[in-house]
Amino acid sequence: MTSTILSRWLLWSEWRAHWMQVIVALIAIATGVAMAYSIHLINSAAFNEFSAASKSLSGQSDLQVRGRSAFFDESLYPKLARHAGVAVANPVLELDVAVPGKRQNRNDHKLKIIGIDTFRAMQIAPDLLGMPAEGKNMDRFAEDALFLSPAAMEWLQVEQDDSLQLHVGLETVTLRVAGGVVRARAGQRIGVMDIGALQWRMQQLGVLSRIELKLKEGINHAAFKADLSRELGEAYVVVESSDQEQRVANMSRAYRINLNMLALVALFTGVFLVFSTQALSVIRRRQHFALLRALGWTRRQLLRQMIWEGAAFGMVGSLLGLVLGYAIAALAIQFLGGDLGTNFFPGIKPSIHFDEVSALLFFVIGLFVTVLGSIVPALEAARTKPAQALRSGSEVMALVKLSKPWFALVCLLAALLLTQLPPLFELPIGGYLAIVLLLVGGIALMPYCVGWLFNTLMMRCQRYSTPAIFTLVLARLANAPNQAAIALGGILASFSLMVAMAIMVSSFRISIDDWLVRVLPADLYVRTIASGDHGGFPPGAQQDIAGLPGFDRVDFFRSQTLTLDQRRPDIMLFARPIDPVDARNTLPMTDAWIAAELWPQQAMPIWVSEAMVDLYGYHVGDTVELPVGAASGQFFVAGVWRDYGRQFGAVQMRLSDYQELTGDLSVNTIAIGLQANTTVDTAIERLRQLAFGSRLEISRSGDMRALSLEIFDRSFAVTYLLEIVAVFIGLLGVAASFSAQTLARVREFGMLRHIGVLRRQILWLLAAEGGMLTAVGILLGFVLGWSISLILVFIVNPQSFHWTMPLHVPWIWLLLIAIVLLISASITAVWAGQRAVSGHVIRAVREDW
Amino acid sequence: MKQVEKTLPRFGRFFVALFLFMACLLTMQVGAEPSRLQQVVPGRQLVFPHDLGAHQDFRIEWWYITGWLETGDSKPLGFQVTFFRYATDQHRENPSRFAAKYLIIAHLALSDPATGKLRHMEKSAREGFDLAYAREGDTDVRLDDWSLVRETDGRYQVDMQTNDFGLRLSLTPTQSVMLQDQDGFSRKGPEPGQASYYYSEPHLSVSGTVFRNAKPVDVRGRAWLDHEWSTTYLAPEADGWDWVGANLDDGSALMSFQIRRKGGGKVWAYAATRDRSGKMTFFDTDQVEFIPLRTWKSPQTRAEYPVAMQIRTGEIKWELTPLMDDQELDARQSTSAIYWEGAVTLKRNGEPAGKGYLELTGYADPLAL
Amino acid sequence: MLELCNVSKSYREGRKVLDRLTYTLEAGEYIAIMGESGVGKSTLLNLIAGLDTPDSGEIRINGVGVSALDDDAATLLRRKQLGFIFQAFHILPHLTLFQNIALPLLLNDQKLDQVEPMLSAVGLENRGHHFPHQLSGGELQRVAIARALVHRPKLILADEPTGNLDPDTAREILQLMRAEIKANGAAAILVTHSHVAAATADRILDLKRDGLHPVAPGNAA
Repeated sequence: MTSTILSRWLLWSEWRAHWMQVIVALIAIATGVAMAYSIHLINSAAFNEFSAASKSLSGQSDLQVRGRSAFFDESLYPKLARHAGVAVANPVLELDVAVPGKRQNRNDHKLKIIGIDTFRAMQIAPDLLGMPAEGKNMDRFAEDALFLSPAAMEWLQVEQDDSLQLHVGLETVTLRVAGGVVRARAGQRIGVMDIGALQWRMQQLGVLSRIELKLKEGINHAAFKADLSRELGEAYVVVESSDQEQRVANMSRAYRINLNMLALVALFTGVFLVFSTQALSVIRRRQHFALLRALGWTRRQLLRQMIWEGAAFGMVGSLLGLVLGYAIAALAIQFLGGDLGTNFFPGIKPSIHFDEVSALLFFVIGLFVTVLGSIVPALEAARTKPAQALRSGSEVMALVKLSKPWFALVCLLAALLLTQLPPLFELPIGGYLAIVLLLVGGIALMPYCVGWLFNTLMMRCQRYSTPAIFTLVLARLANAPNQAAIALGGILASFSLMVAMAIMVSSFRISIDDWLVRVLPADLYVRTIASGDHGGFPPGAQQDIAGLPGFDRVDFFRSQTLTLDQRRPDIMLFARPIDPVDARNTLPMTDAWIAAELWPQQAMPIWVSEAMVDLYGYHVGDTVELPVGAASGQFFVAGVWRDYGRQFGAVQMRLSDYQELTGDLSVNTIAIGLQANTTVDTAIERLRQLAFGSRLEISRSGDMRALSLEIFDRSFAVTYLLEIVAVFIGLLGVAASFSAQTLARVREFGMLRHIGVLRRQILWLLAAEGGMLTAVGILLGFVLGWSISLILVFIVNPQSFHWTMPLHVPWIWLLLIAIVLLISASITAVWAGQRAVSGHVIRAVREDW
Repeated sequence: MKQVEKTLPRFGRFFVALFLFMACLLTMQVGAEPSRLQQVVPGRQLVFPHDLGAHQDFRIEWWYITGWLETGDSKPLGFQVTFFRYATDQHRENPSRFAAKYLIIAHLALSDPATGKLRHMEKSAREGFDLAYAREGDTDVRLDDWSLVRETDGRYQVDMQTNDFGLRLSLTPTQSVMLQDQDGFSRKGPEPGQASYYYSEPHLSVSGTVFRNAKPVDVRGRAWLDHEWSTTYLAPEADGWDWVGANLDDGSALMSFQIRRKGGGKVWAYAATRDRSGKMTFFDTDQVEFIPLRTWKSPQTRAEYPVAMQIRTGEIKWELTPLMDDQELDARQSTSAIYWEGAVTLKRNGEPAGKGYLELTGYADPLAL
Repeated sequence: MLELCNVSKSYREGRKVLDRLTYTLEAGEYIAIMGESGVGKSTLLNLIAGLDTPDSGEIRINGVGVSALDDDAATLLRRKQLGFIFQAFHILPHLTLFQNIALPLLLNDQKLDQVEPMLSAVGLENRGHHFPHQLSGGELQRVAIARALVHRPKLILADEPTGNLDPDTAREILQLMRAEIKANGAAAILVTHSHVAAATADRILDLKRDGLHPVAPGNAA
């Protein structure tokens, strides 16, 4: 009882006396928890909404049957409907139809229209039924009726009974808005039509996107699924709804996990701050504790006190963090959308849901890491012999154990070993662990490095007569490196991560820029406003375009999606003319490729993206089977190319091979190289004058490059924000530890003032200390950050996004940050020191406590 | 939950409307486009077996079988089997195999006094892919695994199963086809277009199997088949109708209906009897009267049905007593409307005369739900 | 060398500590100031060191008015002319003994050749590379004495230098202090409660409200 009172007194007095540091530490924890929690909230809200939206499209089906490519022949439908064991078969045709006038937003200009048979869908996906006007029930079967979700109506700015024009291939289709899809999810932009009408109006006769099955009662789903898969053969995939969820989850998994990792980094930096606050508080209060010990406090009581202090920090900070995180998440969702502007989850409008479990989880994480940060100082406080600690000057001995380099070296070694791990669960777990260990090791090594560096420096300097202040600075840094290093833990952590991210992002950006130049060599790209998977240009239109004057080179591209694995997102198949002699002239190849003369005879070559190697194990020289054309064909993997556009995989093949296999002569995209005397504008004008010219989507390659980079920058905007937060926390740490240290050193400064050190010299001393420390921190941070960037570029990126890139270091940018950091750290140090020299000189030397 | 409650009545409403449209006697809404559907005109000679099949040029058509069955231990059962074909008058140019040109809707109901309940099930589908169709030429209707087929010897085969009940019956005609009204031209109202082509097949001898809780029971019995097709049906002032079709013990048959006027009274009424020798007696609107004897209020829908009825056809008074009171079809949860369709026994002028089916529609106000 | 003319000082709460104090300290003179607690002994030292300003009156060191100096000038004066010895030693923990003693020389841009002799003089020869935490209290005060004298200041201010030490060590330190101060020819003011300590001075003065009063050597015992 009494010990609780004592604990409370001690805690309260400590907090009251050093409220500045308490606030800074709380801000650090709160910011860390807030970042982590808000990212979690945003991610899970977006993801849940996204998967709920995709789930609402497939209703309560037990199984889904899809083709390998986006569409398959409808003749499967009666077969499945009649299949023993099937209670209901719901045929669905799903098309992404381009909306005229919405073209400016390249990633987001299509309306998903779902064609359903009302009577079948009613039993499986009742949410998708359109709501016709009173007395117009037959609109559900009408040939021109389109039902729109509220979000779609808002987006298209139409109301019931309005008519809506859509572009289909090279034609325009006019539909009537017959009503709403009232049970669509908030923000979900979909239209619903009669399936027969959709097939007809959108020129997709005879095909379906999927068939959803409801099985009869008592049928074993797994066994049925296995039998059906076998029965349907390679051309189809049978998917359970759980597979579907996984597929959706896979689409954004890498993005979500990487963002979560960054958020945890913010929390991690916060932990260092707690650690340094607590450590410095221990140093400052060594004599208090020694006295308490001498008065009869047990070691355990002391330990408990310190941990209780940390826990109190953690509780208050985490609670603040949760509130802050929730607010940030709500604002971010409101203004940036659930994907924070990256367009990862298009067409949804998520809302934040507070759930106790995750809030509790993040509270516990915050509390746990804070306590963790308190434990080392607590142990040190408890271990100190009171007699020794009571003596003044013994602070130097505090935390001496931390400077033992073996712990750091073990961390670094372990990090090195972890980088060699293959991905776990397709995630770069090893890479992330290595980053954490690198950081821990690097920070643990910091006191050792600081001590060694300044000792050496001091040795050098002793040979010459150096100014007193400089000697003081060097001596302190050399002989009390632990305290110095503690101050820098946060800044080291945040700066090294900033360096790492900067190098990674710049490597990525430069690679993408180069890559865009390679993959967009033509001057103009012409597309139809394609709906679905059918090529928009029939051969006639292809000839019309190729026949226009002023074109140097006209290439035709056919692209479509393929499902190779039902649990993974679809891959892209590109059929295009590819240089028969050397594919490198067409594709941004990696070093893995085989020259044409070494190909096996009769083999159709394909070139696969790096993701295909990682995800599907397609290696150069392999012969693989792809569902192209009526029967799955055999293909020879002739090379691996870089694809920064599709992390789920892409395959290129020769257009002639594709046409031979499928008989499909239509194309989606036409790349046009212009003759020297033809300007882009003239070319566009000529294209527009074609009969179908108004319905062409014409892009200049420069615009496409700019747009791609803009999207890239936008998707990394959050990263930048998180980095700034991390650095901010780091600077807070510098401020906190410097103010703590200067307060602890108030007697030292008092004495110095007595013996004739000028006030400004003390400030210089502080600035020099801060600056030199930060300089070392920056140096070490750079080394550490560079190592981490190697992990990010060569391990994390290939393992999570399946693409490789060369390393580019943005020197100027980093230098700029380093200077800014150096100056702000010095200013912070001086600012923190102002208090120490502001006139308490006389009292300072008299104070023994 | 909330959403479900909110939207289900809407589905219900839709199908109430659709159902009334087709099975019951509602006026047609003719679209802006000129319809290609044909009108029912008097004087057309029905040709068999061709007219036993579907008539795709008419808006709506149904085959309607009701009857009494007896299990091996002499327990009575009532059954009702209906197939509707409905022309949407849309998608005429649409080459898609999914084009919703015709819709097929089917009802199955089983009245079992042992449980005091009516079991029923509805299905709907668009015609296509041979999954659902109503063929021309002879009776051949299918909706997924439900089918009604007339074999060349005139026997009808009905096969309709659900998860927990169903029937598989063979119906053999014992009498000739009974053409209603003016040689199969059946007027439904005062206007010339308000009519249908209508024939019945009374006294079908039934044998087969009934499934209750997935357990088969052998049954025998007597049934009545109606086949009717039309494009424009009834006066807009119609509120609903009462219909009865009965196989009488002496081998004769009775069919009678009245179309009630909104707010009371009747729009039209008709009755016909045919004796064993084939002699038809007709009664017109003035001669036919439906007099409720006893009402039953459905605890589920609060609708009140005159389940016991006296029908006067000329001088004859028929007294109808239901096999059981609760023979209401409340299909709001799935696809259909609320009506009462039940097995009844008949007395002629106080004497037991036979068994039949009574249909009472328009008593529940779906909008009040 | 030190002149106090009518120096008065009151605290903010109005308590008058020094009232028109006048005293002149000759070069090389070693005096002890005793007095009751709160009578203003330490205040007097602070005023002399230019760390505090008198309400009225003048303090001159070698003819320079201390109270007229701004902070920087006062600091420079302290740096050159004064040496301090504190009750709590105030040896910088992260500097070696050598570095601690060398501080005043470094501040005055002087050569460090006096550090070793100074260490020897206070009996800590060959221990220049040690750190303060390796030393006992008496040894720390020896370092403090060495630091106070190493740059040959004209005036040493010692505030209870033996307050934290046991009597034997105290005696030893007092003797060392006197010997070293005398050896360097500095004047010194020793503020103390201890008669034993005071007895080592040339003269003992009792600070009272109305001024400094000489105490007969016999009373000191």
